[in-house]
Amino acid sequence: MDHHEITNRFALPLLSASAMALLSACGGGGGSAEPAPPEPRAVSIQFAGVAGTAPVSCAQPLAALGSGALQSELKDFRFYVSEVSLKRADGIFVPLAMSVDEWQHERGVALIDLEDDSGSCAGRGTAAMNASIRGTVPGGEYVGVRLTVGVPSAVNHSDTAASAAPLDVQAMAWSWQAGRKFAKIEIAPAGGVTRPANPDTTPPTPETGSAIFNMHLGSTGCTGNPASGEIVSCAASNRLELEFDAFNVDTQQVLVDLQPLFLTANTGVDLGGAFGCMSGKTDPECAAIFAALGLDLASGQTVSGGRYQSVFRIGAR
Amino acid sequence: MGRSRHVWAAPGQAFLGLSVLLATAALSGCGGGGTAVGDSGTAGDGGVVVPRFFPAPRLPEGESLAAERIELGRHLFYDKRLSGNGTQACGSCHHQDKAFTDGLPVAIGATGERHPRNAQALGNVVYNATLTWANPSLVTLEKQMETPLFGEDPVEMGVNDRNRDEVLARIRGDARYPAMFAQVFPGGAEAIDWRNIIAAIASFQRSLIAGNSRYDRFLRGEAVLAPNEERGRLLFFGERAECFHCHGSFNFNDQVVHAASRVVETPFHNTGLYNIDGAGGFPEPNRGVFELTALPQDMGAFRAPSLRNVEVTGPYMHDGTIATLEDVLSFYAAGGRLITAGPHAGDGRTNPFKSDLIALIDLSPEEQADIVAFLKTLTDHEFLENPKHADPFLPQP
Repeated sequence: MDHHEITNRFALPLLSASAMALLSACGGGGGSAEPAPPEPRAVSIQFAGVAGTAPVSCAQPLAALGSGALQSELKDFRFYVSEVSLKRADGIFVPLAMSVDEWQHERGVALIDLEDDSGSCAGRGTAAMNASIRGTVPGGEYVGVRLTVGVPSAVNHSDTAASAAPLDVQAMAWSWQAGRKFAKIEIAPAGGVTRPANPDTTPPTPETGSAIFNMHLGSTGCTGNPASGEIVSCAASNRLELEFDAFNVDTQQVLVDLQPLFLTANTGVDLGGAFGCMSGKTDPECAAIFAALGLDLASGQTVSGGRYQSVFRIGAR
Repeated sequence: MGRSRHVWAAPGQAFLGLSVLLATAALSGCGGGGTAVGDSGTAGDGGVVVPRFFPAPRLPEGESLAAERIELGRHLFYDKRLSGNGTQACGSCHHQDKAFTDGLPVAIGATGERHPRNAQALGNVVYNATLTWANPSLVTLEKQMETPLFGEDPVEMGVNDRNRDEVLARIRGDARYPAMFAQVFPGGAEAIDWRNIIAAIASFQRSLIAGNSRYDRFLRGEAVLAPNEERGRLLFFGERAECFHCHGSFNFNDQVVHAASRVVETPFHNTGLYNIDGAGGFPEPNRGVFELTALPQDMGAFRAPSLRNVEVTGPYMHDGTIATLEDVLSFYAAGGRLITAGPHAGDGRTNPFKSDLIALIDLSPEEQADIVAFLKTLTDHEFLENPKHADPFLPQP
């Protein structure tokens, strides 16, 4: 159940069963005409949550966050990652063959779960954590990494209750958007999130509001086809494409920094829409959050290949 | 017995099977007087039959609407153990005697949270192209059901990651469900899972056909409408009141999908209920399709509901803010709603996103009353009392 067990489970079999599949299925991944593909190697891409230089967990208060520099606590910290590839020295990106387990779906979607349902997160999440993506790539040197924070549309709209793990996590379902939350990062700023008295709800909402400032990322504006019963398209993808030119998979990790994520957001006040930002195009709080993520709020597209995002970066393990 | 258990096998075959069945039903006179709704007249057969002026419904692949499947779904629909805290079933907000609405302005979930919107009627829901008040992405009953079951904002039935295994264990541990599931789904004890629970409830919902109102009997030449009802009917379908533009289908709405549908339109309409900022604004979180698309023209756009059984589905509108049918008619006659004071003050009549179909139509009070009288002929009392749709957990009379 816990992640130690899973890590152990995958340390050894990776080199046997997955290796065979990879040799036949992914031999041409690099697009070159090499006669004998190199032996596959197991890799584990590590993730860690930080706030500036401090590690983030449910066990201790976070550094001051947001434009108001509010002392905050972590409430939830989970996100889906897909389309993972490593960059060879010659610049070619080689897809990672993701192993399949309760954190990694056969369609190449992993759930990174950095909360453990204890401390400040108690009562919201799950005890088990997962801070890595595991799989294989053809043997060789790799210098960079590319990944997408999000669930590919082919599986994003599947029925959560009937899906294989980790697409079965109900908390990550986004039923009213007929898809999934790609990222669910929630903090509780000291003093809560105050919404000015808003007469425009039923019943009218007095001042106060929510204890939690939410950051839910996901595709919006989706439309279904009633004749086929399928989701046809979403107006805003909101998948965050990330690319790092310098990444040593053995010694470095991907850091997710809450300080820049909330840097220009006034997390103590909510001026409309959902509390915090739930990817709403007209939600006042989304402008700052999407800017930090390097996502264009209007189009739902990653700006300039993720160059302008400030939340994800590479750091030492 | 069993001859016509699978009334709807596949969409392509449905018409043929149906016409045979309908003929049989009419001949055998089940329900009396040529009733085309209800069971097929064969003992023990719970098959679903639709009136002959209804199109054959579109069913998902593998859906048979077998009697056992509907019966299983009926039990689950009314089973309070299916909510996180065991206090609410689907049927808690969808009462049969109110055409599966709940009589409240807005629904209240298992944990006491108020839903922003009014509980929807379920009669003929099998024909709905989209399933909720304002969501173009929810096009199947199965997908829609995840919102009330698992939704967090608001909490409706309150099933979540922490309690969903426990909820499932309640169903698995029940004395009768294992056998009921085994009859319907392969896989033994493992068949009791969320996928099948949702599938069975959807089947029950698809069996909720309401098509035997006095108006339907009038169409069949078996009933006459009173003079005021007939005047109301002519107004309803006429170019002055224009009700039929949005409520003109056999199901009295304008979003219909059926077996032969190729292209399905899913219009949503702003009817001028609000204009809180003079720029067309509706109050959060009830801004219609705009909540999903953020497109200005979608502000306040909601789906036109079916008017079948509308007599018993009040209060009305997406937020339950119009109490009576009489008030609904005066609202439409005025071409929108002027709210002069309070938090929602504003002139909905001048909402810039209001549908072109909603105009000042100058209906006299008598004419409005006639339309209300006509609308009341759309009530299918047999549907509201059909024991096949009723709560099996209530003491049997």
